[in-house]
Amino acid sequence: MPPGRTRLILKTAILTLLGAGTLAGAGGLAVFFGGWYYVGATKHHFQPVYSLLEQGMHYSVRRNARDIVVPPLGAPAQVLRGAAVYRDNCAQCHGGPGFAQSPIGMSMQPVPGPLVDAGTHWKDRELYWITRHGIKMSGMPAWEYHLSDADIWAAVAFIGTLPGLSAQDYRTITAPAGKVEDGR
Amino acid sequence: MTRIVLLLLALLLSGCGKDRPPAGVLGDPAAGKLALSQYACQACHIIPGVTGSQVYVGRPLADLHKRRFIAGTLPLDQASLVRWIRDPQSVDPHTAMPNMGVSEKDARDMSAYLLSR
Repeated sequence: MPPGRTRLILKTAILTLLGAGTLAGAGGLAVFFGGWYYVGATKHHFQPVYSLLEQGMHYSVRRNARDIVVPPLGAPAQVLRGAAVYRDNCAQCHGGPGFAQSPIGMSMQPVPGPLVDAGTHWKDRELYWITRHGIKMSGMPAWEYHLSDADIWAAVAFIGTLPGLSAQDYRTITAPAGKVEDGR
Repeated sequence: MTRIVLLLLALLLSGCGKDRPPAGVLGDPAAGKLALSQYACQACHIIPGVTGSQVYVGRPLADLHKRRFIAGTLPLDQASLVRWIRDPQSVDPHTAMPNMGVSEKDARDMSAYLLSR
């Protein structure tokens, strides 16, 4: 190929890319400053966008939780403590056996899902990581700042028992447990 | 020509969701679709046209309009569906579906959407 022709091809390619980039940038700025991106909770992400964000969240949690060492879980006293932690901190957004989340949890977008199937999506160390660090832009708080480490693990242990818990079981197990103290 | 394009567009759009309630069904399917997401129905059910995760805590609602019974015992019609949505425990005291505090109007719109095809 003669050098003149190569130069022409390169020049055309670079100018085309620059032109397309400028146009895309201008379009993006117009949407951004024009306020054309709708932020209301009454309109959802397109399903592919939602699924992509959700999948990315899964990969991120999996990676960040991979080195966490899980302590022994499931001792009756720990599950009882976890039930109280769950009742006071999780149930209002996630609901529980036989009862719905509060209107706040119900209308959050994305919705805080039920936790009865948490064990089919997450390992214990991942549930611990999510509870401890929260999930950005989802409303899930980083409980590290509001609960002790032992209480976070207790909640994880309790969540593991949810699939076998009826509404009556839940009332029974959360009834005697005292209010979880704020903070550590 | 314009007419054909419009017709094709209409056909294309009608494939994108459930917007044709059967005769006799009351309520606004579009409002119902939005209400379904505001009462967190998609947290447990896969609902066509409503963005959400792949969850199987409640049964998928894709083929609801084709079912003969809901909740095992109620013959499928709009009145039964509204009752089930508003107060599941009145139909089945042991159901895992909680009472979401849905208003009569929202339940009617939701049922109109779910019964559409």
